[in-house]
Amino acid sequence: MTAPVRVRESALRRVAYAVLARAVRGRRERGGEWGEAALAEFGETRGDWEAVRWAAGGLRTVWRERRRRARELPRPLRFARGTVLVLVVGLLAGVVVSRYVMSVGYIPSGSMEPTLQISDRVLLDRITFRATGLRRGDLVAFTKAIEPGARAHTNLKRVIGLPGDTIECRDGRVWRDGSPLDEPYLTLGPEEDRTDCSPVTVPEHQLYLLGDHRIVSIDSREYGTVDEDTVEARVVGRIWPIRD
Amino acid sequence: MPRPPHASPQTLRLFEALLADPARWRYGYELSKETALASGTLYPILMRLSEQRLLETGWEPSEEPGRPPRHIYRLTADGVTLAEQRLAARRPAEAPRRAGPIPQTRTAGGAA
Repeated sequence: MTAPVRVRESALRRVAYAVLARAVRGRRERGGEWGEAALAEFGETRGDWEAVRWAAGGLRTVWRERRRRARELPRPLRFARGTVLVLVVGLLAGVVVSRYVMSVGYIPSGSMEPTLQISDRVLLDRITFRATGLRRGDLVAFTKAIEPGARAHTNLKRVIGLPGDTIECRDGRVWRDGSPLDEPYLTLGPEEDRTDCSPVTVPEHQLYLLGDHRIVSIDSREYGTVDEDTVEARVVGRIWPIRD
Repeated sequence: MPRPPHASPQTLRLFEALLADPARWRYGYELSKETALASGTLYPILMRLSEQRLLETGWEPSEEPGRPPRHIYRLTADGVTLAEQRLAARRPAEAPRRAGPIPQTRTAGGAA
Protein backbone atom coordinates (compact mmCIF):
# COMPACT_ATOMS: atom_id res chain seq x y z
CA MET A 1 0.00 0.00 0.00
CA THR A 2 2.49 2.63 1.15
CA ALA A 3 5.62 3.26 -0.84
CA PRO A 4 8.54 1.43 0.66
CA VAL A 5 10.54 3.61 2.99
CA ARG A 6 14.24 3.04 2.80
CA VAL A 7 15.73 1.26 5.73
CA ARG A 8 18.12 2.77 8.26
CA GLU A 9 15.83 5.78 8.69
CA SER A 10 15.65 7.43 12.10
CA ALA A 11 12.39 7.21 14.04
CA LEU A 12 11.71 10.91 13.54
CA ARG A 13 12.17 10.65 9.79
CA ARG A 14 9.86 7.66 9.65
CA VAL A 15 7.20 9.51 11.63
CA ALA A 16 7.54 12.59 9.40
CA TYR A 17 7.19 10.39 6.31
CA ALA A 18 4.20 8.52 7.73
CA VAL A 19 2.41 11.75 8.62
CA LEU A 20 3.00 13.23 5.19
CA ALA A 21 2.00 10.00 3.40
CA ARG A 22 -1.16 9.83 5.46
CA ALA A 23 -2.01 13.45 4.61
CA VAL A 24 -1.29 12.97 0.92
CA ARG A 25 -3.04 9.66 0.41
CA GLY A 26 -5.47 9.16 3.25
CA ARG A 27 -6.85 5.71 2.51
CA ARG A 28 -6.29 5.93 -1.22
CA GLU A 29 -3.57 4.21 -3.15
CA ARG A 30 -2.30 7.48 -4.48
CA GLY A 31 -2.85 11.09 -3.51
CA GLY A 32 -2.92 14.31 -5.51
CA GLU A 33 -0.15 15.11 -7.98
CA TRP A 34 1.60 17.72 -5.85
CA GLY A 35 1.31 15.92 -2.57
CA GLU A 36 2.80 12.85 -4.27
CA ALA A 37 5.56 15.04 -5.67
CA ALA A 38 6.55 16.27 -2.21
CA LEU A 39 6.32 12.72 -0.90
CA ALA A 40 8.55 11.36 -3.68
CA GLU A 41 11.25 13.91 -2.86
CA PHE A 42 11.19 13.08 0.85
CA GLY A 43 13.99 10.54 0.44
CA GLU A 44 16.30 13.28 -0.82
CA THR A 45 16.27 15.17 2.48
CA ARG A 46 19.23 14.76 4.78
CA GLY A 47 18.88 14.49 8.52
CA ASP A 48 15.95 14.77 10.90
CA TRP A 49 15.51 18.50 10.84
CA GLU A 50 15.38 18.80 7.08
CA ALA A 51 13.00 15.84 6.85
CA VAL A 52 10.60 17.39 9.34
CA ARG A 53 10.71 20.73 7.56
CA TRP A 54 10.13 19.04 4.23
CA ALA A 55 7.16 17.13 5.60
CA ALA A 56 5.71 20.30 7.14
CA GLY A 57 5.96 22.08 3.79
CA GLY A 58 4.46 18.99 2.18
CA LEU A 59 1.45 19.27 4.48
CA ARG A 60 1.00 22.86 3.41
CA THR A 61 1.24 21.74 -0.20
CA VAL A 62 -1.43 19.09 0.33
CA TRP A 63 -3.68 21.66 1.95
CA ARG A 64 -3.22 24.12 -0.91
CA GLU A 65 -3.80 21.41 -3.47
CA ARG A 66 -7.01 20.34 -1.77
CA ARG A 67 -8.29 23.87 -1.60
CA ARG A 68 -7.53 24.29 -5.27
CA ARG A 69 -9.40 21.12 -6.11
CA ALA A 70 -12.38 22.24 -4.03
CA ARG A 71 -12.47 25.42 -6.09
CA GLU A 72 -12.76 23.31 -9.23
CA LEU A 73 -15.90 21.55 -8.03
CA PRO A 74 -19.05 22.51 -9.91
CA ARG A 75 -20.52 25.71 -8.55
CA PRO A 76 -23.76 24.25 -7.09
CA LEU A 77 -21.87 21.51 -5.26
CA ARG A 78 -19.37 24.00 -3.84
CA PHE A 79 -22.21 26.21 -2.75
CA ALA A 80 -24.01 23.27 -1.16
CA ARG A 81 -20.90 22.24 0.77
CA GLY A 82 -20.47 25.74 2.12
CA THR A 83 -24.13 26.05 3.03
CA VAL A 84 -24.22 22.73 4.83
CA LEU A 85 -21.12 23.67 6.81
CA VAL A 86 -22.55 27.05 7.80
CA LEU A 87 -25.89 25.51 8.75
CA VAL A 88 -24.39 22.75 10.87
CA VAL A 89 -21.94 25.03 12.66
CA GLY A 90 -24.60 27.70 13.09
CA LEU A 91 -27.10 25.22 14.46
CA LEU A 92 -24.63 23.81 16.96
CA ALA A 93 -23.56 27.29 18.03
CA GLY A 94 -27.21 28.30 18.37
CA VAL A 95 -28.02 25.31 20.57
CA VAL A 96 -25.03 26.00 22.82
CA VAL A 97 -25.78 29.71 23.07
CA SER A 98 -29.47 29.32 23.83
CA ARG A 99 -28.79 26.61 26.37
CA TYR A 100 -25.89 28.22 28.22
CA VAL A 101 -25.47 31.85 27.27
CA MET A 102 -28.53 33.74 26.27
CA SER A 103 -32.04 33.02 25.11
CA VAL A 104 -35.48 34.51 24.73
CA GLY A 105 -38.21 33.73 27.22
CA TYR A 106 -41.98 33.94 26.75
CA ILE A 107 -44.20 35.29 29.52
CA PRO A 108 -47.18 32.93 29.87
CA SER A 109 -48.85 34.45 32.93
CA GLY A 110 -49.90 37.75 34.40
CA SER A 111 -48.07 37.28 37.68
CA MET A 112 -45.42 39.88 36.77
CA GLU A 113 -47.88 42.54 35.58
CA PRO A 114 -47.57 45.43 35.08
CA THR A 115 -43.83 45.02 34.50
CA LEU A 116 -44.31 42.13 32.06
CA GLN A 117 -47.55 41.32 30.25
CA ILE A 118 -48.77 37.96 29.02
CA SER A 119 -47.08 37.11 25.66
CA ASP A 120 -44.16 39.50 26.20
CA ARG A 121 -40.73 38.22 25.18
CA VAL A 122 -37.77 38.82 27.45
CA LEU A 123 -34.05 38.36 26.96
CA LEU A 124 -32.60 35.87 29.44
CA ASP A 125 -28.97 36.01 30.51
CA ARG A 126 -28.01 32.46 31.44
CA ILE A 127 -24.38 32.94 32.29
CA THR A 128 -23.13 36.26 33.65
CA PHE A 129 -25.32 36.27 36.77
CA ARG A 130 -23.43 33.15 37.87
CA ALA A 131 -20.29 35.26 38.08
CA THR A 132 -21.74 38.54 39.29
CA GLY A 133 -24.36 37.09 41.63
CA LEU A 134 -27.97 38.25 41.96
CA ARG A 135 -29.12 41.55 43.40
CA ARG A 136 -32.30 42.57 45.13
CA GLY A 137 -34.81 43.71 42.55
CA ASP A 138 -33.48 41.43 39.76
CA LEU A 139 -36.02 39.40 37.80
CA VAL A 140 -35.05 35.75 37.66
CA ALA A 141 -36.23 32.64 35.82
CA PHE A 142 -36.16 29.48 37.92
CA THR A 143 -37.67 26.01 37.71
CA LYS A 144 -40.21 24.91 40.23
CA ALA A 145 -43.22 22.67 40.47
CA ILE A 146 -45.94 24.95 41.78
CA GLU A 147 -47.99 22.08 43.17
CA PRO A 148 -46.36 19.01 44.68
CA GLY A 149 -46.20 16.23 42.12
CA ALA A 150 -46.77 18.60 39.19
CA ARG A 151 -44.15 18.94 36.48
CA ALA A 152 -41.52 21.56 37.22
CA HIS A 153 -41.64 24.51 34.87
CA THR A 154 -39.98 27.86 34.53
CA ASN A 155 -41.28 30.74 36.62
CA LEU A 156 -40.31 34.35 36.53
CA LYS A 157 -40.26 36.42 39.75
CA ARG A 158 -38.52 39.36 41.37
CA VAL A 159 -35.76 38.88 43.97
CA ILE A 160 -37.04 40.47 47.18
CA GLY A 161 -34.75 38.84 49.73
CA LEU A 162 -31.20 37.50 49.52
CA PRO A 163 -29.71 35.05 52.05
CA GLY A 164 -29.72 36.63 55.51
CA ASP A 165 -32.45 39.18 54.75
CA THR A 166 -35.44 39.32 57.05
CA ILE A 167 -38.69 39.72 55.15
CA GLU A 168 -42.03 40.64 56.70
CA CYS A 169 -45.24 42.34 55.64
CA ARG A 170 -46.97 45.17 57.51
CA ASP A 171 -50.16 46.91 56.43
CA GLY A 172 -49.98 45.32 52.97
CA ARG A 173 -46.37 46.42 52.31
CA VAL A 174 -43.15 44.42 52.24
CA TRP A 175 -40.48 45.21 54.84
CA ARG A 176 -36.90 44.08 54.59
CA ASP A 177 -34.60 44.14 57.60
CA GLY A 178 -36.98 46.45 59.42
CA SER A 179 -37.64 49.08 56.75
CA PRO A 180 -40.44 49.29 54.19
CA LEU A 181 -39.42 48.63 50.58
CA ASP A 182 -39.72 51.29 47.93
CA GLU A 183 -41.43 49.40 45.12
CA PRO A 184 -42.03 51.78 42.22
CA TYR A 185 -42.96 48.86 39.92
CA LEU A 186 -46.21 48.33 41.87
CA THR A 187 -48.61 50.62 40.01
CA LEU A 188 -51.88 48.69 39.88
CA GLY A 189 -53.42 50.43 42.91
CA PRO A 190 -53.69 49.66 46.63
CA GLU A 191 -56.08 46.72 46.13
CA GLU A 192 -53.93 44.82 43.64
CA ASP A 193 -50.57 45.75 45.18
CA ARG A 194 -51.48 44.73 48.69
CA THR A 195 -48.96 42.19 49.96
CA ASP A 196 -49.46 39.94 52.95
CA CYS A 197 -46.89 37.43 54.06
CA SER A 198 -45.53 35.57 57.03
CA PRO A 199 -42.16 36.85 58.33
CA VAL A 200 -39.10 34.86 57.30
CA THR A 201 -35.32 35.12 57.45
CA VAL A 202 -33.90 33.91 54.13
CA PRO A 203 -31.57 30.91 54.72
CA GLU A 204 -28.19 30.40 53.03
CA HIS A 205 -28.42 29.63 49.28
CA GLN A 206 -32.10 30.54 49.20
CA LEU A 207 -33.99 33.45 47.69
CA TYR A 208 -37.25 35.15 48.60
CA LEU A 209 -39.12 35.80 45.35
CA LEU A 210 -42.33 37.70 44.67
CA GLY A 211 -44.30 38.39 41.49
CA ASP A 212 -45.10 42.03 40.81
CA HIS A 213 -48.82 41.32 40.46
CA ARG A 214 -49.20 40.61 44.16
CA ILE A 215 -52.86 39.67 44.18
CA VAL A 216 -52.52 36.85 41.61
CA SER A 217 -48.87 35.77 41.89
CA ILE A 218 -48.05 32.46 43.49
CA ASP A 219 -44.58 32.93 44.94
CA SER A 220 -42.47 32.72 48.12
CA ARG A 221 -45.51 33.77 50.17
CA GLU A 222 -47.02 30.44 49.09
CA TYR A 223 -44.12 28.04 48.75
CA GLY A 224 -41.44 29.69 50.85
CA THR A 225 -37.91 30.55 49.82
CA VAL A 226 -36.44 29.08 46.64
CA ASP A 227 -33.14 27.25 46.19
CA GLU A 228 -30.55 29.42 44.39
CA ASP A 229 -29.54 26.40 42.26
CA THR A 230 -32.91 26.40 40.54
CA VAL A 231 -32.27 29.85 39.03
CA GLU A 232 -31.61 29.41 35.30
CA ALA A 233 -31.37 32.97 34.13
CA ARG A 234 -31.63 36.63 34.92
CA VAL A 235 -33.96 38.78 32.87
CA VAL A 236 -32.04 41.42 30.96
CA GLY A 237 -35.12 43.18 29.69
CA ARG A 238 -38.14 42.97 27.47
CA ILE A 239 -37.37 42.69 23.78
CA TRP A 240 -40.94 42.40 22.46
CA PRO A 241 -43.20 44.26 22.18
CA ILE A 242 -41.30 47.51 22.13
CA ARG A 243 -43.01 49.87 24.55
CA ASP A 244 -41.58 53.09 26.03
CA MET B 1 0.74 49.99 -8.10
CA PRO B 2 -0.23 46.38 -7.45
CA ARG B 3 2.36 43.75 -8.24
CA PRO B 4 1.77 41.81 -11.48
CA PRO B 5 1.23 38.06 -11.09
CA HIS B 6 4.30 35.82 -10.75
CA ALA B 7 6.54 38.64 -9.47
CA SER B 8 6.95 37.78 -5.80
CA PRO B 9 10.58 37.57 -4.65
CA GLN B 10 10.10 33.83 -4.11
CA THR B 11 8.78 33.30 -7.63
CA LEU B 12 11.63 35.36 -9.04
CA ARG B 13 14.14 33.19 -7.21
CA LEU B 14 12.52 30.13 -8.72
CA PHE B 15 12.56 31.71 -12.19
CA GLU B 16 16.28 32.36 -11.81
CA ALA B 17 16.90 28.74 -10.93
CA LEU B 18 14.74 27.41 -13.77
CA LEU B 19 16.26 29.77 -16.33
CA ALA B 20 19.80 28.65 -15.55
CA ASP B 21 19.26 25.79 -17.99
CA PRO B 22 15.66 25.91 -19.22
CA ALA B 23 15.86 22.69 -21.23
CA ARG B 24 16.79 20.53 -18.27
CA TRP B 25 14.14 18.76 -16.18
CA ARG B 26 14.43 19.73 -12.52
CA TYR B 27 13.41 18.07 -9.24
CA GLY B 28 11.54 19.66 -6.33
CA TYR B 29 14.16 18.97 -3.70
CA GLU B 30 16.95 20.31 -5.88
CA LEU B 31 14.98 23.50 -6.63
CA SER B 32 14.18 23.93 -2.96
CA LYS B 33 17.89 23.73 -2.11
CA GLU B 34 18.91 26.07 -4.90
CA THR B 35 16.29 28.73 -4.15
CA ALA B 36 16.32 28.25 -0.37
CA LEU B 37 12.51 27.99 -0.51
CA ALA B 38 10.76 25.63 1.88
CA SER B 39 8.70 22.89 0.26
CA GLY B 40 5.53 24.57 1.52
CA THR B 41 6.42 27.71 -0.46
CA LEU B 42 7.97 26.06 -3.51
CA TYR B 43 5.22 23.58 -4.39
CA PRO B 44 2.33 26.06 -4.31
CA ILE B 45 4.30 28.29 -6.71
CA LEU B 46 5.02 25.34 -9.02
CA MET B 47 1.36 24.37 -8.78
CA ARG B 48 0.28 27.83 -9.87
CA LEU B 49 2.77 28.02 -12.73
CA SER B 50 1.78 24.61 -14.02
CA GLU B 51 -1.90 25.46 -13.87
CA GLN B 52 -1.27 28.44 -16.13
CA ARG B 53 0.79 26.40 -18.58
CA LEU B 54 3.97 28.24 -17.69
CA LEU B 55 5.52 25.06 -16.35
CA GLU B 56 5.67 21.58 -17.78
CA THR B 57 5.54 18.71 -15.33
CA GLY B 58 6.15 15.01 -15.66
CA TRP B 59 6.95 11.87 -13.71
CA GLU B 60 10.39 10.37 -14.11
CA PRO B 61 10.53 6.63 -13.40
CA SER B 62 13.22 5.88 -10.89
CA GLU B 63 16.30 3.89 -11.77
CA GLU B 64 16.73 2.45 -8.31
CA PRO B 65 14.22 -0.21 -7.34
CA GLY B 66 12.06 0.67 -4.36
CA ARG B 67 12.18 4.38 -5.05
CA PRO B 68 9.07 6.16 -6.21
CA PRO B 69 9.03 8.04 -9.53
CA ARG B 70 9.98 11.68 -9.13
CA HIS B 71 8.02 14.69 -10.26
CA ILE B 72 9.99 16.85 -12.70
CA TYR B 73 9.64 20.40 -13.95
CA ARG B 74 10.76 22.80 -16.61
CA LEU B 75 9.43 26.08 -17.98
CA THR B 76 7.33 26.09 -21.14
CA ALA B 77 8.11 28.59 -23.91
CA ASP B 78 5.53 30.95 -22.42
CA GLY B 79 7.08 30.36 -19.02
CA VAL B 80 10.54 31.27 -20.23
CA THR B 81 9.26 34.47 -21.83
CA LEU B 82 7.40 35.48 -18.71
CA ALA B 83 10.28 34.57 -16.39
CA GLU B 84 12.69 36.70 -18.43
CA GLN B 85 10.26 39.60 -18.42
CA ARG B 86 9.73 39.39 -14.69
CA LEU B 87 13.43 39.18 -13.92
CA ALA B 88 14.16 42.13 -16.23
CA ALA B 89 11.42 44.22 -14.62
CA ARG B 90 12.85 43.64 -11.18
CA ARG B 91 13.64 46.85 -9.31
CA PRO B 92 17.33 47.85 -9.32
CA ALA B 93 17.58 47.22 -5.58
CA GLU B 94 16.85 43.56 -6.26
CA ALA B 95 19.23 43.36 -9.20
CA PRO B 96 20.51 39.85 -9.87
CA ARG B 97 23.88 38.90 -8.58
CA ARG B 98 24.72 37.35 -11.92
CA ALA B 99 24.99 40.25 -14.32
CA GLY B 100 24.62 40.17 -18.09
CA PRO B 101 21.78 39.63 -20.51
CA ILE B 102 20.18 36.26 -20.84
CA PRO B 103 21.23 34.54 -24.09
CA GLN B 104 18.46 34.04 -26.61
CA THR B 105 19.25 30.36 -27.08
CA ARG B 106 17.60 29.70 -23.72
CA THR B 107 14.26 30.69 -25.06
CA ALA B 108 14.64 28.21 -27.86
CA GLY B 109 15.57 25.47 -25.42
CA GLY B 110 12.45 26.04 -23.34
CA ALA B 111 10.23 25.64 -26.36
CA ALA B 112 10.92 21.92 -26.59
